[in-house]
Amino acid sequence: MGGVGDDVALSEAARGQLHEHRQDRRADVGVAVVVLVIVAAAALRPLLQDLLDKPAVAHWATIFVAITVQAMPFLALGITVSAAIAAFVPDDFLPRVLPDRPALAVPVAAVAGAALPGCECGSVPIAGRLVSRGALPAAALTFLLSAPAINPVVLVATAVAFPGKPGVVAARALASLLAATVVGLVWARFGNDKFLERARRRHSHDGPPLSVMVETAQHDLLQAGGFLIVGAATAATLQTAVPRSILDSVAGSGAASVLALAGLAVVMAICSEADAFVAASLTQFSLTSRLAFMVVGPMVDVKLIALQAGTFGGRFALRFAPLTFVVAAGSAILVGWWLL
Amino acid sequence: MSAAGGTITMLVGAVLLRLTVTDTYRRYVKGGLGLWLTIAGIAIVLLGLVTLVRAIRRSRPSHEHDHGIGVGWLLLAPIAALLLVAPPTLGSYGVGRAANVNIKAGRGVFKPLPRGQEPLAMSLLEFGQRAYDHHGTSFNNAPVNLIGFVAGDVDGGFELARYTISCCAADAAPIVVRVLGTSGDPPSRDQWVTVTGKFRPGGGNIPDLVATSVAQIPAPKDPYE
Repeated sequence: MGGVGDDVALSEAARGQLHEHRQDRRADVGVAVVVLVIVAAAALRPLLQDLLDKPAVAHWATIFVAITVQAMPFLALGITVSAAIAAFVPDDFLPRVLPDRPALAVPVAAVAGAALPGCECGSVPIAGRLVSRGALPAAALTFLLSAPAINPVVLVATAVAFPGKPGVVAARALASLLAATVVGLVWARFGNDKFLERARRRHSHDGPPLSVMVETAQHDLLQAGGFLIVGAATAATLQTAVPRSILDSVAGSGAASVLALAGLAVVMAICSEADAFVAASLTQFSLTSRLAFMVVGPMVDVKLIALQAGTFGGRFALRFAPLTFVVAAGSAILVGWWLL
Repeated sequence: MSAAGGTITMLVGAVLLRLTVTDTYRRYVKGGLGLWLTIAGIAIVLLGLVTLVRAIRRSRPSHEHDHGIGVGWLLLAPIAALLLVAPPTLGSYGVGRAANVNIKAGRGVFKPLPRGQEPLAMSLLEFGQRAYDHHGTSFNNAPVNLIGFVAGDVDGGFELARYTISCCAADAAPIVVRVLGTSGDPPSRDQWVTVTGKFRPGGGNIPDLVATSVAQIPAPKDPYE
């Protein structure tokens, strides 16, 4: 009996050692790859320089870097808040204090979005954390949509961009609240939370709170950062490949111009704190189509779709983005027709 | 998290800090974002450092399993690019491809310029706005000084352009002024110049300036308006 037990213990220790070896080797390989990439890039520097001498490539690279750099502070803020929730908020706290009926929770979440002064890159990790901490998914998604659209910084920027037209600010806030609430309610009624498995699966790290915070922030930064790169590259490619001057052919009013500017918002992937200034400059379009640009932009764009796919899963993003696009454009048309 | 993850994270933070220290970040984002980039850069470097130290000091692999870095590897692409060659300021390539910027938006009526001796330094945006305001009467025939890059040739001169950005280069919109009355070959495309001259009415969508002097200059520290 004892002999068999010893054997088992021995083999377990051996397996542990093997495991240790493998992990060590994997870590070494990882660091080696980082070094290799940097060295290879340094060796290829003349090639990079040649590439950047081509105007189209330089244009692409500048926009790619611009979107990435611009998003970093906001992403860092969102990740810090998300990691703090993971570290300091007890597991059962959110489900206990938040309303669990969608009819109440979703509108509350939409209005609560006003409290997060950042743009869309920050709200994605926070919404992901809320879902993994047991908040009602529909409410977390509503918060995700409303926070970048109706926070005070964005609304003040909108007022500055449209001087003497307070109606635009009101219309933007109203249409964004409406769109976020409707998407949340639709998700509560028809959405399948199994598509959120990626956010649900994110397990909490164990240990002292500060250690949990570091582990979570580190993990989120690499995840979200990687997907941000995908989104920024897509946006830069579309901006370089599709000249914005084609917009001039659909300028004016009517459904085509609303769709054109809603589509432009998806393609441009600019920060919600800046989009009002771009909208203000597109004077060849009706106010309603420019409202659609400002309502769709913070909720659906190529960079956000990549971030959402990274946080919640690809199958989720595939369903959520089209739903949000249709609802946001619809709200803009409705509110624009009423107020503008 | 692994040592490699910590290393990538530290590099991300280091690149952000380098962009702010060298002022290169102004090629990509609005100047006001500099402080936030610095704060984010420091926080990210510290995060990566803590991860790296923890990974090295962990003598035995702990029972928490190692998360893969996954898509995080992609962060190496902009890091490698930015450490070696910083992409340039947006240039003439995007000028013809952008949507028309209609300067008439916003802004009320301008007070007339004082008719002084020294030319007044002015942004291209203000030049355009004044040109649209009552057909440019507020210029009061005073000389002005503009800074921009050469975006292309036109009959008897060249197009001077500069981008205005509200957050980052992804939302850049070009402002164009037609510079007339220059003699000789126009400066080459994308060359930065400072132009002195007077507004001439009747330019249509792109306002005209009749130049008295054109001088080539290095790109300004803040390339966007």
